[in-house]
Amino acid sequence: MAESNSKNKKNKGSEKPQNPGKGSGGGTSAWGDVIRNSVDTQRLFVSAGSVGLLGLAASAVLGMGDFKRFQYSYLVAFMWVLSIGLGGVWWVTLQHLVNAKWSIVVRRIGELIAANAGLLAILSLPIVIPALLGNSDLYLWVDHNRMAEDHALHHKSAYLNVPFFAIRVAVYFAFWVLLSQHLLKSSLKQDEASSDTQSRRLRRLAGPAMMGVAVTLTFAAIDFLMSLNPLWFSTIFGIYYLAGCVLAIHASLALTLLWLQKRGTLVKTVSQEHFHDIGKMMFAFTIFWAYIAFSQFMLIWYANIPEETHWYLLRVENGWLSVTWFQLIGHFVMPFAFLLSRHVKRHRTGIALGALWVLFVHYVDMYWLVMPTTFVQGPELHLLDLSCWIGLTGVFIAAVAYRARKVNLVPVGDPRLETSLAFENV
Amino acid sequence: MRMQAMATTHTNTPTRQGQLEEPHMSEKHASTPESQAEAPLFGLLAEYNTPGELIEASKKVRDAGFTRWDTFTPFPVHGIDRAMGIRMTRLPWLVLGAALTGLSLAVWLQWWTNAVDYPWIVSGKPFWSLPANVPIMFELTVLFAGITAMVGMLVMNGLPEPAHPLDLKTRFARSTDDKFFLVVEARDPKFDEASTKHLLEKTHPVALEEVPEDRTTSAKFPTGLIYGVIVVTAIALVPFALFAKARTAKSRSTRIHAIADMDSQPKFKTQRENLVFDDGRSMREPVKGTVAHGQLWDDDHLYRGKVGDAWARTFPSQMTPNADMMARGEQRFGIYCTPCHGQTGDGKGMVHVRASTLGQGWVPPTNVHQEYLRQQPVGQLFDTITNGIRSMPAYGPQISAEDRWAIILYLRALQKSRAASLGELTAEQRQNLK
Amino acid sequence: MATLWSETNPYLGEPKGDTDFARITDNVARVAEAPKPPIGWYIAFGIALAMLTGFGASLGWVMWVGIGAWGNMHPVAWAFPIVNFVFWVGIGHAGTLISAILFLLRQTWRTAINRFAEAMTIFAVICAGIFPGVHIGRPWMPYYMFPVPNQMSMWPQFRSPLEWDIFAVGTYFTISLLFWFMGMIPDLATIRDRATTTPRRFIYGILAMGWRGSSRQWHRYERAYLLLAALATPLVLSVHSVVSFDFATSQAPGWHTTIFPPYFVAGAIFGGFAMVVTLAVPARQFFGLKRLIEIRHLELMNKVILATGMMVGYAYGMEFFIAWYSGNPYENFVFANRLFGPYAWAYWTMIACNVVIPQLHWFEKVRTNVWATLAIGVVVNVGMWFERFVIICTSMSRDFMPANWGYYIPSKIDFLTLGGSFGLFFTLFLLFCRFLPMVAIAEVKSVHRDAHAGHGHDAHEHSHSPRTA
Repeated sequence: MAESNSKNKKNKGSEKPQNPGKGSGGGTSAWGDVIRNSVDTQRLFVSAGSVGLLGLAASAVLGMGDFKRFQYSYLVAFMWVLSIGLGGVWWVTLQHLVNAKWSIVVRRIGELIAANAGLLAILSLPIVIPALLGNSDLYLWVDHNRMAEDHALHHKSAYLNVPFFAIRVAVYFAFWVLLSQHLLKSSLKQDEASSDTQSRRLRRLAGPAMMGVAVTLTFAAIDFLMSLNPLWFSTIFGIYYLAGCVLAIHASLALTLLWLQKRGTLVKTVSQEHFHDIGKMMFAFTIFWAYIAFSQFMLIWYANIPEETHWYLLRVENGWLSVTWFQLIGHFVMPFAFLLSRHVKRHRTGIALGALWVLFVHYVDMYWLVMPTTFVQGPELHLLDLSCWIGLTGVFIAAVAYRARKVNLVPVGDPRLETSLAFENV
Repeated sequence: MRMQAMATTHTNTPTRQGQLEEPHMSEKHASTPESQAEAPLFGLLAEYNTPGELIEASKKVRDAGFTRWDTFTPFPVHGIDRAMGIRMTRLPWLVLGAALTGLSLAVWLQWWTNAVDYPWIVSGKPFWSLPANVPIMFELTVLFAGITAMVGMLVMNGLPEPAHPLDLKTRFARSTDDKFFLVVEARDPKFDEASTKHLLEKTHPVALEEVPEDRTTSAKFPTGLIYGVIVVTAIALVPFALFAKARTAKSRSTRIHAIADMDSQPKFKTQRENLVFDDGRSMREPVKGTVAHGQLWDDDHLYRGKVGDAWARTFPSQMTPNADMMARGEQRFGIYCTPCHGQTGDGKGMVHVRASTLGQGWVPPTNVHQEYLRQQPVGQLFDTITNGIRSMPAYGPQISAEDRWAIILYLRALQKSRAASLGELTAEQRQNLK
Repeated sequence: MATLWSETNPYLGEPKGDTDFARITDNVARVAEAPKPPIGWYIAFGIALAMLTGFGASLGWVMWVGIGAWGNMHPVAWAFPIVNFVFWVGIGHAGTLISAILFLLRQTWRTAINRFAEAMTIFAVICAGIFPGVHIGRPWMPYYMFPVPNQMSMWPQFRSPLEWDIFAVGTYFTISLLFWFMGMIPDLATIRDRATTTPRRFIYGILAMGWRGSSRQWHRYERAYLLLAALATPLVLSVHSVVSFDFATSQAPGWHTTIFPPYFVAGAIFGGFAMVVTLAVPARQFFGLKRLIEIRHLELMNKVILATGMMVGYAYGMEFFIAWYSGNPYENFVFANRLFGPYAWAYWTMIACNVVIPQLHWFEKVRTNVWATLAIGVVVNVGMWFERFVIICTSMSRDFMPANWGYYIPSKIDFLTLGGSFGLFFTLFLLFCRFLPMVAIAEVKSVHRDAHAGHGHDAHEHSHSPRTA
């Protein structure tokens, strides 16, 4: 991190900082737009960071009283934040892989979000450490005795055991950190070099990198979420989580850009057309999520094999049935109907509402995946749910803002930037 | 003459740019080859080489306030919509409506057929299973929307359109190849041959021509074709009429057996002749001197209801009347006997009720409460069930001997229920009766 | 080989015309207008017709004596007919994918290949539909599959995945046909306007329905095309998902797994693109379309093949991992049986063709080589056929009860039917190449640089088609 900071400073030195007014404290691009905003991002860093730390502290205090509940609430919030970060890694890799041009003006934001994989690794410790210490509140398979007494579980102990789990988590995060740092650094280097070299290298890297993302993301979803119920299994689960990640990153991109534009940054750079495209991606992946979720549900419902249906049974009984219905209505029907319209996707308020709603239902989705495992009676909201969410989100936003302070918010060195600026939907 | 008119109009209407240009005329325009004396003018046709020129020309025509005009291009030109002032089509709303119609139809179809009209239990699923209905809901939504998009586009575009005045212009054939055309129609209220021509002149067309109305191609369908379509349609409806008749009329002739399916199979059925065997029967007897497993039936009392030559008056020793046997008997009676004899054994079961209304020589079932039946030995009742009596068929092959005895036990209870005396009740039961 | 083509190909001369637009028109239209196709076409058509005859004969024989003429037998009751059905339906996916999804993704390179990929879709779905139609045993009573009011007051069973198939494949065929035909209307009008004889003018005129390229018509046309693309995109995903439901809703080990829908879709795109390159390479050689279907286009398709191949590989991997992770001994057995059982040869053929050999596309030299492209395309098609064979036959031949096990051996008629279906496919495809515009003329023109000259937006280069949204 220190290294990248020094790079950033050097970067700043090379670019002539001009203050276009309105206290943005940023640089101006060749096309006369503010593309840096150290003042507002610094402010956001401080405010989000302090709120986040406060949230984490509150969670810690509350967690003393009910450690089990703390772990569950924390896991929900963590998987939600992780999906934004991982979605970023996936998204930036994809843009390089398909050589996308429309997204270049947006790509730096994605790179900045993705680059916080290291922070996410630290944030995963409250989940990994209790497992290492033998606490089986969250993951039943931590308990050796339980694994031994059930034949089906016994079979899985070769995979579901604490040391292997810790190693896997370390590998996932190491991969994400290396990849996302590389993506950001190459892109920053290109800001100075203004040559095609980095783009070409990244394009070549993107293929293998995407394979790595696919595998790590799948197994991370299996380890963190699917193994909550160690008896249950579903081959589509990794793709299900990926669909959520893609929704989360697009919504986050839209909100970040709207926030920046409100503060006078990137106003000319990112146009209605780019928001339209982000909106289309949210729309498409709303359908994709529904497709994957329905496939998983319908196949398990139809075949009706007890070892699979019990997972859904938990979610259609007691209080959880209403949440399951909410998944259908809130996670599919409503955003589908809302984002269908071209006007909504091209309207700032429309896209903001859509993005906020998508992030909200994605949180509900995570809640629905995690909570019924133990709290079978139905969703019981707890103060910890809120404090963990505030804590993790605050810290995450602060980290993004911290990185955003001293860099160009647009990859000015990308030779295809012109095309992206001129991009227009028809 | 025309030249004159154009020049006059030209001086009267300055161009939008406010600068006057020399009237520009292509040499092609000067000659008007077709004799148009008899055909009225359809419109003016201007030809351009590039889409850019066409767009510029369109803007001028649009700004001049024309409404009945159009441009013709070999491919959709980017930006021409705005240049011509074309408003967004309403087609998407039409498609949305069709999509919702398809969706509703799919829900209704699956609900009505599988849950209402023809309910049928399959793989433990509810009759109306929404998760299982989703695929077809989706498919019909897309099908309706897709067909509407295509058909709606054609109808709104006025297609198919077999003939058009422009077809008579050989030059116009290149509108689907590499040239770009603009046509202002004569029926436009703002149309004035001279001034419009002048306006078009200023857009520097490669060629500018007058298009006469089409008087050589008939605007109507040929009558022969129309009659042909009517006749073919009528003939095509004949099979459907025959189907409709066949569904309402009765017939004594056998159906037409185009494909035999499994109706005729190369096998011998029971009671048919079979010359392979000496006795000429297709049914075979068991091999002499053998007994099939479980069919020895060597106890006359249990299997035939006889003790010596007389009907048994007691239950066989293997069958001890008790509550279990009574329950079994009630259940079996419910299955095998009630259709004819009724729930209470009074001979008024559903089959009887139905058969009586048909009135086709039905022998009514016996009322089991008659005195002679109450007196009949159990062995004789057993024989009746086993071998049948009058029109009642034999139930021996269907009901096991043990169950037949259980039925008789229940039958006796039924009989007693209508002929018990007060003295047979316990004190408590007598109390309850009051 | 190359000399044979260059000597007999009448199209290798320069396309005529004084503008680029005219040359594009001529390049495509002259194929449909030439009095005689190249000799290679006759040879190919002769072979295709012979195979089609075999198809007719084998199906006739099956209908005459019954399904027993095929090798389907307990326990492998689905066998070849369903393998072939899934194979052909899968092939059909690339066409609509190219027309619809690449259209929505603003991939302008699709204009070179979309027309005949769409044609390929339609012909492949025709081939696909025949197999289950005959496999039902009484192909003369197909109306029982549709909700037609009948004298027995019976209705189809809408909770059955096989019934979903009827609707999915039927809808897919209809929409693909509309999409294909709609895209072709302007090009048919072009051929109509170039026609020199009355019969040609009449036939193409009927087909073009009086299209004259009015901008007001283009406006609605483009909207309708966009709507069809938006509708066809989820449709193309749904079709193979529904086909996968045929298997995955069951409880059979190796069939019941939740990843099947996206896995089948990825496989279908994989196989479909392989078929597109298999057909594109000879078509561009035969008919002189090298300038329209460039090496660049083939390379992009090879990249798609590589990417979807990796997705299919991911699904194979997930199936194996979860089979082990589930702890279900039957699942475990089925997958061990695939690796080492009696059908291991089929499994390893599939792995080699679908996962190993396509890896060659990582190398640019391979991707841009026409012959390597063709060879790998064929290999992937073989691999995708074996994938369906592995899924259907290994799972059915050895299920829960060892007493039920068996080894399926296809009959000669099976092979004749399979080969014959290629005859039908190629016959239709060759007729299409001969008489219809093989490349979307209007669309190619619309992405040509001259199409943008002379109006406001041309200050910057356009990265996308003007027809996309």
